[in-house]
Amino acid sequence: MTALRTHLGISLRLHFRNKMALIYGYLFPLIFLVAFYVLYRFEKPPLLRHMGELLTVAVLGGACFGLPTTLVSERERGVWRRYRLSPVPTWQFVASTMLARYVIILSAGLLQLGAALALGMTFPPHPVSLFVGFTFVAFAFIGLGLVIATLADNVPAVQALGQCIFLPMLIIGGVAVSLASLPLWAQHVSAFFPGRYAVEGLQACFTGRGFAGMHFSLLALGLIGVAGCLAGAKLFRWDAQQRFAARTGKLWLLPAFAAWIAVGLLAEWRGRIAIPVDKEIVAPATAPAPVTPTPIIASTPPPVTAPIPPARLLTPPPPDPVWMKITPQDTAGLDYHVPPDQGNVSPFAAIDEDPEDFMKEQVTSVRNKIATWPPGAEGDDLRCVRNLLYVAAVPDAIQMPVERYLPRVVYEHLISTYPKEKLTKILTYIALHPEEGMVVDDISDLGVEGTAGDPLVVRERAYLYAIKFIARLTGRVPE
Amino acid sequence: MPAHVVVRDLRKSYGEVEAVRGVSFKIEPGEIFGLLGPNGAGKTTTVECLVGLREPDSGELEVCGVDARRNPREVKQKIGVALQTTSLQDKITPREALRLFGSFYRDRVAPEVLIERFALTEKADACFDTLSGGQRQRLAIALAFVNRPQLVFLDEPTTGLDPQARRELHAAIARMKADGYTVLFTTHYLDEAEHLCDRVAIIDRGRIVAEGRPRELIAQSSAVQSVTLVTSRPLDGAKLAALPGVSAVVAEGTESRFQTSHATATLGALTAWLGELRTEVVELRVKKASLEDVFLKLTREESRAGFSPPSNEAEDQKAG
Repeated sequence: MTALRTHLGISLRLHFRNKMALIYGYLFPLIFLVAFYVLYRFEKPPLLRHMGELLTVAVLGGACFGLPTTLVSERERGVWRRYRLSPVPTWQFVASTMLARYVIILSAGLLQLGAALALGMTFPPHPVSLFVGFTFVAFAFIGLGLVIATLADNVPAVQALGQCIFLPMLIIGGVAVSLASLPLWAQHVSAFFPGRYAVEGLQACFTGRGFAGMHFSLLALGLIGVAGCLAGAKLFRWDAQQRFAARTGKLWLLPAFAAWIAVGLLAEWRGRIAIPVDKEIVAPATAPAPVTPTPIIASTPPPVTAPIPPARLLTPPPPDPVWMKITPQDTAGLDYHVPPDQGNVSPFAAIDEDPEDFMKEQVTSVRNKIATWPPGAEGDDLRCVRNLLYVAAVPDAIQMPVERYLPRVVYEHLISTYPKEKLTKILTYIALHPEEGMVVDDISDLGVEGTAGDPLVVRERAYLYAIKFIARLTGRVPE
Repeated sequence: MPAHVVVRDLRKSYGEVEAVRGVSFKIEPGEIFGLLGPNGAGKTTTVECLVGLREPDSGELEVCGVDARRNPREVKQKIGVALQTTSLQDKITPREALRLFGSFYRDRVAPEVLIERFALTEKADACFDTLSGGQRQRLAIALAFVNRPQLVFLDEPTTGLDPQARRELHAAIARMKADGYTVLFTTHYLDEAEHLCDRVAIIDRGRIVAEGRPRELIAQSSAVQSVTLVTSRPLDGAKLAALPGVSAVVAEGTESRFQTSHATATLGALTAWLGELRTEVVELRVKKASLEDVFLKLTREESRAGFSPPSNEAEDQKAG
């Protein structure tokens, strides 16, 4: 144990003396964090919905690049050959190296978390689950790092192999690009990548149910980690002269990749390919408390004629619509600093702006159907207006080409349906209580296909459109 | 006291290539034993089998009274090794490296003692990438002493060092002998083997072709003497080789080098021949055989015997 402890201590010390390791291990994840902060600057609280992605990127970099680079460069120098001459078994050095890497990755994760908190993010509601989840993610990717170190004969090969895993995971694996904005085939492919489960598992600790919402992710990551460590340990090379091509026992690689396939097939079998929707969304700490306890998310519009759930029967209906209490002061007190109409977040076509030809069919379909669309036409006014806002918000959350034209359709429908004062009050109420009500994240009945993955994003966009509509209704923004 | 190293019929192949073909030798306690041979001869493979880096195909290995094939971990507690190409992490300091490697053993020497002994005091807390070649090699040898070893393996420790650093290492090895350590030492610098080793074994193409004290080996081939001749005109090498006792002729311009097993007869015939050619002798040196001459003679004989030499690459590509 003395050997393991000393080796662990020296490994950590050497890591902190290596400038390149510090840049890759700490600076790059922070650059990602700042980039996300700027990109999603209108989200409140900031970064909360992206910590799964950010922490996964930090772990991926540390485990799939940092670990194999260290192992392979030490092997090339003959350090591992020198270790081999000692009476300490090789597995102890490997275990110590893995443990050191875990500590390094954990410190990078804590740095990211600290930076996010400093930028205004709320404290994660499930810190213990986050620690457990982070450990599983690190374990899975450290196993992968060991496999890369086994496959790579030299450091440039580590970089090449790492990129082969890193980039697909970022782009179609759900790590850097929201799965909801990807085609269905990419969502199927992502089920075979550990990055997806890393993001899902970690994100559940920030905006989901914590441990209760990450069982499958932990199972997937654990399986992938065990298989990677097994293959990495069995094929471990301590001598640079042992080329991988001449190595015996290459079949030990099979478990590592079989685990990815097994996890993907299991996800397919359990119907987990479609973007999972959290059943219990934690309200942002800075948001006002909900008036009615209805934090339910639906992936399809709730049927108006559906029987009322038993829980609802216990809640007496409010004597007057809650939005009636809204005053002009409430409307004036809203924060009107919203993204510009020409930007990527909550875009809003000008009144004389026509959609391009290929979008006209969708816009016309929505324009024709919106008046009779049940979620926007039946039931109480508050719910109808909220659901209509989602018609603008969902395409924006998915970043569909038509996203900038539908808000105009919704706005025109609203002002032709509701008196101006009433509409202003309802929209103000929604802007003050963005977390209430059900999220409608599927508007295919209106002729627009696509499902938004993160209901919090949809709520946020609905909030932004409510503000933009109010600004027009009250003359703050001239039409 | 039993021998510190006993090797019997050691064999090791890499695929089709037999790198070591039945090597046997013994090293007595307190001896400095040199294993000599050209590149690819099998000396590094032999050492690697002894220190537990390679699994032999067959043969018996006993190190410090322990069966090295059955109990390599126990052997590693008793030996120290300085490899030919030891390199450490760029940012580790000699003090840290000595503490780290010391922690691997039951019995260990304090880093400060080794730092002083191997003249690393000035650089004790400097990063490895700032050390000179000689300092790195002294550190590599210091690492071999962290566990108070009974037996030390030095694999070509002076390769690539400048003359000053080589001289310092020779002094360090001489001190090991004075301190009573047993040392197995591989090199292809035959002058240092002749100077430092109590006994040597010459290994060529996986076999030991000669073994004994350097002076005994030289004496055994004392019939061979080296001659260097500079004349006023170039000589015909073929005719020079035809003189009595002459072998290994190298004629380059007016300088000719050869060996002779009968110096008196050769010089007599040479003088007569030069007289006939009316060629003047500018310089003539006759030197007794060195270990290098013995080595060259033995390894050339092996070559003439028709062995198909394993390529250097074969030994370099040690698998598994």
